[in-house]
Parts: sequence; structure tokens; C-alpha cells
Amino acid sequence: MPDKMFFGAMLPQQADWYILGPILGVITVCFFLMMNQPLGASGAYIHTMNHVRRAGHRAAWRVWYFAGLALGGCVVTQFLQESKGLRIGFDSFRDAAPLWIMVPAIFIGGILIGYGAKLGGGCTSGHGICGTAQRSKSSIAATAAFMTSAILTTGSIRLISGGRL
Amino acid sequence: MNSLKTNITGLAFGAMFGGVLAAGSLHEYDTIHNMLKLDEFYVFGFMGSAIVIATIGLGILESRNTKTSFGGTIVLQRSDIKANHLKGGVIFGSGWAIAGTCPAPVLVMLTSGVFLSLIVIAGIFIGLSLSNKQAPAGFGDGEHRIVDQAVERA
Repeated sequence: MPDKMFFGAMLPQQADWYILGPILGVITVCFFLMMNQPLGASGAYIHTMNHVRRAGHRAAWRVWYFAGLALGGCVVTQFLQESKGLRIGFDSFRDAAPLWIMVPAIFIGGILIGYGAKLGGGCTSGHGICGTAQRSKSSIAATAAFMTSAILTTGSIRLISGGRL
Repeated sequence: MNSLKTNITGLAFGAMFGGVLAAGSLHEYDTIHNMLKLDEFYVFGFMGSAIVIATIGLGILESRNTKTSFGGTIVLQRSDIKANHLKGGVIFGSGWAIAGTCPAPVLVMLTSGVFLSLIVIAGIFIGLSLSNKQAPAGFGDGEHRIVDQAVERA
């Protein structure tokens, strides 16, 4: 296995949360220590979009951050994980529903994610992690709202799909 | 201006965040779906421990009025709850549950080789660009600082 010679031990498909969670916490703090900014992902989408349109507020580093998310994901999933090449994606959704239902569903899901993040002023990273860690009331409220909504929506999906999802 | 330095910082922290999400398989539909079914504790533990560590760390930085590398003295933002936070949260949560992914993990999903994720990414861009009178001016009224004043001052 030549990869093991390069990287030593490979990462498992899912490393333990009590290792990764604290690492993410430290990353969040270090980012504040450097940039004095929250590490929010939906803001990176907006800035990237504004950069392409050449209109509106945009900070170049957020575009680089957007690219970095993809880069880091690529390095880990393609090279560092022992499960590299193995991908699950939407397989369980595809097993439970035909493609003509799944594709529009995830597209509408994406629109709801974008619209909701814009209206709420943040997403899972911006409100959920960085906002709550700043002890911002609005972030704690938004996080409670999206967690509740997501759990109820998932319950509804299970009912509609007859328990197949 | 530290644009080169801030750009490299953005890229590096994006890569670290994306790498951590990938290492936890947070980019997989199943991981998110199983959490929201309340079948698995994994993501709750992941997010919860990240929040605890970040809260402690940011509290220490704030209490010491730490000077940041590129953004002046650290300022944490604490905005009050408005209706748009709750409405947006509810809408975001329903999309999160349907697509089984959110803005950062979906980019990792794409680079893991799942090209169906492009449909979600397209949806997110469309959702974000829909005109929205209720949304705060710019983007975010606290959590995402649209004008990077602090960085531009540096």
C-alpha cells in the first residue's frame, strides 16, 4: 500500500466526534484570533456569487475560503481516508425514492437552505457554531429554530416515505 | 492591506474546516439524516463539543481584549433576536433535512465525487440570490459581517 508509506495511518471513514469536534472548536477560535471574523459558510457563497457578478460586498478571502472547503474535502476524501473512492452520497435517498422525486427534492432543499440562510443571517456554521460560541442571542434562537425544524421535517419525510427514509 | 495573507488564511482555514467535515463524514446524506432521525448522537456530539471549546476560547480572547492578526482588537457580535432569525432558521432547517446537507458539507460532498450535490449547490445559490425584503441589509446582522471593516482597517 504505497499510500500508507506516504501518510502513515489512514483516517477511518468516520473519525470520533470527541476528537473532531474539539478540533473544529480550536479552528473557530484560531480563525477569530487571526481574522476577527466568524467562519461562516453561507457568507462565503454570497461573496463568491458577488465576486462572479462583480457586484455587491465581497471580500476576496471569503472566495478563497469557499475554494478551501472544497480543497480540504478533496484531500481528505480522495487521499487520506482508508475508504477513499467509496462514496455514499444520496444512495439511501435513491433507494427509497425514484430519481424524478429525489432530484427535484434536493434542488428545492437547496433553495430552502439558501433562502433560509439569507433570511436568518447564517447557517449551521455561522449561527450554529460561531454564533452560539459568541453567545449571540440571535444565533442561539436561529440554531434552536433550525434544529427543531429539521427534526420535525425529517419526521415528516419518514411518515411520507412510509419509513423507507 | 494584507490581502495576500488574508486570502491564504481564508484558503487554509477553509481547507481545515472542509477536512474536518470530511473526516467526520459530515458530507454524507446518511450522517445528517441519521442525526435528524435522532438515531445517532454523532453530529450532536461533534457540534456540541466544537461549540463548548469555541465558547471557552472566544471568552478568553474577549476577556483579554486580544489583538487579532489582521482584524484589530477582537469583537464578538451579539445581536438580539428578530423574527427573521426564527423564520430563516425554520426555512433553513427544512431544507437541511430534505437535502441532508448544508452549505459547507455539500462542497465536500462534491469533491468526494458525488456529482448530484451540484443540484443542491445550484439550489443554494438560487435561494441566496432570491430577493428578500425581510432579510437584513447586506447579509447577516451580526453573524456574518458583510463589510469586512475590521480586516480592511488593518
